Amino acid sequence: MLQFIAGRLAQMIPVLFGVSLIAFLSVHLVPGDPIQIMTLGRATPETIAAMHAEYGLDQPLWQQYLTFIGNALQGDLGRSIVQKTDVAKLIGDGIGVSLYLLAYSAVLSVLIAVPLAMWAAARRDSAPDHVVRLASMVGLAMPPFWIGLLLMVVFGLTLRWFPIRGFGEGFFGHLHHMFLPALTMALFLAPILIQSLRSSILDVLEADYIEVARSKGLSPRRIMFKHILRNAAIPVITVLAVNIGWLLSGAVIVETVFTIHGLGSQLVRSVGFRDYFTVQGLALVFSVLVMLVNLAADLAYMAIDRRVARA
Amino acid sequence: MQTGSWSWACGRRALMASLVTVVAAGILAADRAAAQEVKRGGTLVIARPEEPLSWNPYTQGDNGSIYAIEQVCDSLVEADATGRGLRPGLAESWEMAADGLSYTFKLRDAKFSDGSPVTVDDVVFSWGKLNDPSAAYQFLLQPVKSIEKVDDKHMRVTLNELYAPFPSVASVFAAAIVKKAAFEANPDEFANKPVCSGPFMVESYERGTKVVLVRNPHYWEMGADGQALPYLDKVELLYVPDTNARVLGLQNGDYDVSAIIPYNQAKAVSETPDMGLEVAEIFRLDYVYLNHKQKPLDDERIRLAMNHAANLQAINKAVFFDYGQIPNSINPKMNFWSGDVAPLAFDIEKAKSLVAEAGYDGTPIKLRIDTGNAPAKQVATILQQGWQEAGLKVEIEELDGGTAWNSVVDGSYMAYVSYITSDINDDDELLALQTDPTEAGTQGFFSRYKNDEVTALLTQSRATTDAAKRGEVFKQIQDITYNDGYSVPLAYTPSINAYHNKVKGWRTLATGWWWLKDVWIDQ
Repeated sequence: MLQFIAGRLAQMIPVLFGVSLIAFLSVHLVPGDPIQIMTLGRATPETIAAMHAEYGLDQPLWQQYLTFIGNALQGDLGRSIVQKTDVAKLIGDGIGVSLYLLAYSAVLSVLIAVPLAMWAAARRDSAPDHVVRLASMVGLAMPPFWIGLLLMVVFGLTLRWFPIRGFGEGFFGHLHHMFLPALTMALFLAPILIQSLRSSILDVLEADYIEVARSKGLSPRRIMFKHILRNAAIPVITVLAVNIGWLLSGAVIVETVFTIHGLGSQLVRSVGFRDYFTVQGLALVFSVLVMLVNLAADLAYMAIDRRVARA
Repeated sequence: MQTGSWSWACGRRALMASLVTVVAAGILAADRAAAQEVKRGGTLVIARPEEPLSWNPYTQGDNGSIYAIEQVCDSLVEADATGRGLRPGLAESWEMAADGLSYTFKLRDAKFSDGSPVTVDDVVFSWGKLNDPSAAYQFLLQPVKSIEKVDDKHMRVTLNELYAPFPSVASVFAAAIVKKAAFEANPDEFANKPVCSGPFMVESYERGTKVVLVRNPHYWEMGADGQALPYLDKVELLYVPDTNARVLGLQNGDYDVSAIIPYNQAKAVSETPDMGLEVAEIFRLDYVYLNHKQKPLDDERIRLAMNHAANLQAINKAVFFDYGQIPNSINPKMNFWSGDVAPLAFDIEKAKSLVAEAGYDGTPIKLRIDTGNAPAKQVATILQQGWQEAGLKVEIEELDGGTAWNSVVDGSYMAYVSYITSDINDDDELLALQTDPTEAGTQGFFSRYKNDEVTALLTQSRATTDAAKRGEVFKQIQDITYNDGYSVPLAYTPSINAYHNKVKGWRTLATGWWWLKDVWIDQ
C-alpha cells in the first residue's frame, strides 16, 4: 500500500514538469505585458525598462523558465508582479478557502445525489424517476452564477437565513457562510452524479450476484448498501474525481458571486494582469491538488473493491 | 460650468497657491459646512471594486492603491475640499522664487503615525523616491533640477525651466511624505504596513479581502469641534469586485457605502429609502483612442467625420443613463477647461461629405473593446451605426483587456474604446501625456499625434503662473487638438457612489478619490 502511494507520488514529478512548461509558455506567449497593464501608459520607457529588469522579464524566455524551475525546486515560487507579495503567501491565503469550498461542495453533492439516484433507480420509469431526471437536467442547464444569485437573493437577502459574502470565523461560521456557495456548486455537480449513479445502479441490479443475494433472503436494505451501492459506486467515484478537478476552476464563478477570495478568483485575476509568477505557481498547485484527488479516488476503489487492492 | 466665472475662480485659487502664506485653519473651517453637530466614533464599512495592491506610493498607479494611500499618507500640498483647488498639506505654506525657478516649502509641525516627528529629511527622502527613474510617476518631475534641505523647517525644489503646474504636482499621491527610517529599513514591510502622517493608519491588510484602517492619534488637522480629525474610529475597506454583490450588500445593510455603482442601477439605488446617491463630477473622459498612423485614420477628415457621425446623445442616454456630459475637448474637464470651444455637431450629412472628400478607399475601421465590458459594447454598436451611415466600414473586435492594451501600446490597434483620468487638477499632466510626440514618451498617449503648434503652446502654458494667461493658452490647445480630430470624445462621466443616510460628510473629490477624514456616522 505504502509502496503504491509512494509510486504515485513519484509519478507526479514528471507531470509537474510538463504542467510548469505548459503554464509558463501559455501565459508568456499570450499578448499583453504585466508592466504595461499595471502602468497603463503613465510610466516613461525608462521606468518600464527598470521594472522589466527587476522581474527578469528582459531575459530570453528559456532563461526565465530555467530561473523559475530552479527557484521552484528550492521552494521559492517567486513574487507577484502585480500584488507585490510572495506567490507562496498568496496561495497560502487562498488555499484554505478553496479546499473548504471544494470539500463542502463534494459532500453536499453526494448527499443530494445518492438518495435521489437510489430513489430514481428503485422507481425506474415511474413518476419519481422522471422528476429526478428532469430536475437534474434543469440543475445542469442553469448557469452557476444564475443559481448563485438566485440563492443569494432568496435565502440571503429576503429570508436572511444565510450571509451573502465572505468566509466567516470559526468552524460553524465557515459552515454558515459557505453553505450557499457550496450548494450552488453542488446543484451543478449533483445532476452529473445522479445520472451516473442511477445508470450504474440499474446495471448492477441486472447482475447475477444480486439475484443470488435476493434468493438467499437478504433484506433489501442489506442488498442495497452492501452489494448494490458498493459496486455501483466504482464508476461514480471516477466521475466524482474528474469533476472535483473541474470544481477547482469552476469555483471561480461562485467565488466571484459570493465574494469569496479563493484560488479560483486569484487565478482569473492573475491571468488578466499577466501576473506570470502567480499564474505559474497556481498552475502547479492546481495540478498537485488534482493528482492528489485522483490518488484518493484510487485508494477509495481499493477500499471498496478488494479485487483492485489485490492487483 | 461657465468659462468666465470658472477661470476667474481658478485664477484666484492658482494665485493663492503661489503666494507666500496660506491660512490653513481659516480655509478648513470654511470648507466644512456641517449644519449638525458632528458625532465622533464608529466604524465605516465601504465596499469597493478594487483593492490596494501595495502601500508603496512610488510604485503604484492603480486606483485600488491610490484611494487607499490617500487616506493614510499626506503630501506637502493637498487637493482642497472639491479637488479642483489646492490647500496646504504637510507644508504649512510655500513660496515661489521671483524667477519662478524654485519653490520653498515650509513644513508644519506634524507627526507620523508612530509618534515620531515629520522632519525635512523625511521630505527630501520622499521626493527623492518620486524623482527616481523607477518611480511610476517620475515623469511629473521632469523639469526638476534638485531637491534640497534648506533648514530644519524648509525644503527647496529647483527647476530647470518654468513649470506652472508644479504646486499641483506636489499634491499628487505619489508625492506622499513617508518616514525615511521606516521605508529605508524595509521597503517591503512598508508596502504592507506604511508609516505616514495621514488621518488613518493601517491596522490590518488581508489581500483579496479587506483593509482595516484606524484613526491616527497624531494627525495634525483639526475638526469642526476643535479636536483632531478623523471623526471615525475605524474604516473597513472591503474588496467586492462583483457589482451585484456591492449593490445587494448596500441594500442589505452589510455595507455603509458602496463605491462605483453602475449607471444602470444608479436610479434604482437612489430610490431606495434611507439611501443617498452621490453623482460626483470627476476628472474623467470616456473616449475612443485613435491611432493616427493607421490608414484611413491618418486623414484628419476621416477622424472629424467619425466625430460628426458619433451620436453622443444616444450613447449618453443608452449607456450612461444621462449621467454623462457631452464633451468638447480631448481631455477631462480640469481647471482650465473652456466652454467656448464648440462641440463637433452630430451631423451625418457633414460626415458623409467629409468621408467623400477624403477619398475613403473602403479600408475597414477596426473598433476594439475589452471583452466583458458591456457599456463599451453598447458604445461601439452605436458608433458603428453612425459611422456606417457616414459611409465608413466598421468592424467591432472584442479582445481580452490585457491583449487589447498590448495592441494599443505597440501601435497595432486602430481605434479603442476607453477613458482617461487625471490625478491632479492641472491640465498639464494629461495634455503633456496626450500630445507629447516624442519617441521617448508614449507618442501622444499612443495616438501618434504630432502638432508642433500644440507642443509650443504647452511649453508656453508652463512658463507663466498667471492663471488668466494659462487659461487662454489652454483654450487654444483645447480648440486645436479637439478640431484636429485627435480622438472621438464620448462623455465626461461621473463617479457614482451610494451610502446610507447615516453617513455624513461623504464626498468624492474631482480627482476621483474620497476623503474619509471628515466623514462621520450619525448613530
